[in-house]
Amino acid sequence: MTVADALLLALGAVAVGSGALVVTSTHLVRAGLYLVVSLGAMAGLYLVLGAELVAWVQVLVYVGAVVVLLLFAVMLTRAPIGPSADLDRPAWPALVVGGGVGLGLAALFIDAFRWTIVALPVPGTTERMGAEIFGTWVLPFEVLSILLLSALVGAIVLSRPDIGAPKEGGA
Amino acid sequence: MSEHGERSAPGKGLVNGLAVTLKTMTRRSTTQQYPDVQPELPPRSRGVIALLEENCTVCMLCARECPDWCIYIDSHKEEVVVPGAARARQRNVLDRFDIDFSLCMYCGICIEVCPFDALHWSPEFEYSELDVLDLLHDKDRLGAWMPTVPPPPAHDVLGEPSKEEATAARKAAGPGAPTAARTARARPETPEPGK
Amino acid sequence: MPLWLDLLVRVVAVVAAFLVLPLLVGQAEHKVMAHMQGRLGPMYAGAFHGWAQLVADGVKFVQKEDITPRDADRRVFQLAPVVALFPYLIVLLAIPLGPGGLVAQPLDVGLFFVLAVLGIGVVAVLMSAWASANKYSLLGGLRGAAQLLGYELPLVLAAASVAMAAGTLSLPGIVEAWSPWWLLWQAPAALVFFVSGLAEIRRPPFDMPIADSELVFGYMTEYTGLRFAFFLLAEYVGIIVIAALTTVLFLGGWHGPAAEHLGWLWTLLKVFAVSFVIIWLRVSYPRLREDQLQRLCWLVLVPVALAQLVLTAAVKVAL
Repeated sequence: MTVADALLLALGAVAVGSGALVVTSTHLVRAGLYLVVSLGAMAGLYLVLGAELVAWVQVLVYVGAVVVLLLFAVMLTRAPIGPSADLDRPAWPALVVGGGVGLGLAALFIDAFRWTIVALPVPGTTERMGAEIFGTWVLPFEVLSILLLSALVGAIVLSRPDIGAPKEGGA
Repeated sequence: MSEHGERSAPGKGLVNGLAVTLKTMTRRSTTQQYPDVQPELPPRSRGVIALLEENCTVCMLCARECPDWCIYIDSHKEEVVVPGAARARQRNVLDRFDIDFSLCMYCGICIEVCPFDALHWSPEFEYSELDVLDLLHDKDRLGAWMPTVPPPPAHDVLGEPSKEEATAARKAAGPGAPTAARTARARPETPEPGK
Repeated sequence: MPLWLDLLVRVVAVVAAFLVLPLLVGQAEHKVMAHMQGRLGPMYAGAFHGWAQLVADGVKFVQKEDITPRDADRRVFQLAPVVALFPYLIVLLAIPLGPGGLVAQPLDVGLFFVLAVLGIGVVAVLMSAWASANKYSLLGGLRGAAQLLGYELPLVLAAASVAMAAGTLSLPGIVEAWSPWWLLWQAPAALVFFVSGLAEIRRPPFDMPIADSELVFGYMTEYTGLRFAFFLLAEYVGIIVIAALTTVLFLGGWHGPAAEHLGWLWTLLKVFAVSFVIIWLRVSYPRLREDQLQRLCWLVLVPVALAQLVLTAAVKVAL
């Protein structure tokens, strides 16, 4: 068991533990903060695996933006301090779906790899990442960017009711 | 960008703002470092009232004119036997002269009305006390301020001479000499234009 | 040098910089701000022109009672100052001081790392704002979150421009590739980066989340003693970090006469010069209104940053 193994296990435990707290906590905002911890631990996992860029993208996008937006929205609407009793939570179906997916994936991976030892890949540098994205994976990359662009346009259209609205009077 | 019609080049205001603060930084600051450096007070600063006891005749003008009655005067009469005189003269002896600076509002009326120049402004101002009762200065304490009274500022050379001076000058010059007002106008050698 | 000693030296150096530089900037702010307002500033602490004022302030903060409001979410409330301070400490690791690996931790994705870690600060703002159980704090926190989210975009875009020009994400690499004519080429990006950096550290004129005249003290209202001092320290380390990043990305870091030997000095000088400008702006300009803030971000900075990206790409392709 190397240091990397120990780190992986520890970070994994943190990620899973705080993930569980996200869905079980009755404190609304704290659940969001647990999500920060969970996603941060995920970034740590990427870091241990040598995917530096992905790790920091994870921090920048998820911790720095997505969860913050989430917390922002929660605080704008309703963010009581202390437990909320009226949280609508389909416990059993969620457990079945979540647990099922988790167990299924775990079983799949264990079955696929068994005890084969995979050496850590060469740590990903920015250069290699760029070459991969703009070489091998250029088509998916471009398709994704078109998807994002259309989402952006959609957001603009939705947020501006004056676009496409029937003209009223002489405005 | 703005509702105001007239605007100079964009960003000019921002640059001006920066220039003002930078210019101020290079100038000397106006802070008075008071306890370390004594302030330079202007002449006729109203700090505390000093009493020249010998000049006081216990005429009570100051105590009566004081708007908030903060001057307390006690005295008794003394007989002075003058040889050769038919009767002994009477003289007022000052027993008590207190000014309560917790009441005083520094109007200076007492100093103005004193016919014998017994009261003076002193620029000293550091006489705060922990107990308000200690702000009642007796005549010894008021007398102790006397050495701090600055000499009166020199007369304005262009100003009108004092009444006493003018009268003395007229008497010296004999009858028919110009009056005080005329001397005052004559003093500046160059006559005012238009007169 | 054994590995552990090397590591120890680097960590000690970063912690020392973390503790000393903010004090220098804080003291400079006291004095510069005072003189710009025709005052003298602190004059007593330490006998000579109040040089020990911030040390005295620190001692004062330690002695003060650490109050947690009764209705506050205790743990989140107490954790927030640490979360506010931590990212800046980490960021200092990646900032190169001089040529030849004079950096605590050379990173291949240094720029990305710095921007990502700086983004964590907004979580601390939301945490402290919400956990204080105070409506002014919450208002300040929401303003802060909106501001930080908005200004992160021009910040990243401006940084991307310089990374594109240098062809690397490593901070020492960017300084290595820098040449004086970039001052002109990357000027709009530098301006955008600096302004949005100011907004990121919530310095005046972008201090609406704190706005003491309307929100008491924003998300810091309920903090006292050492925890409040942590927030203040975070603000001053923030100045250092933004000044250092502006220096490294746009002002050529250690480039200057005799850069081989005096590179660290040039970097420090430039950092202090930019810090002075940050203080100067604080004294000169009034606080923006909330709508002006968002307008500046989305209608001025983001388009300028995008145009700069186009310009950078065009020049890069043409060369």
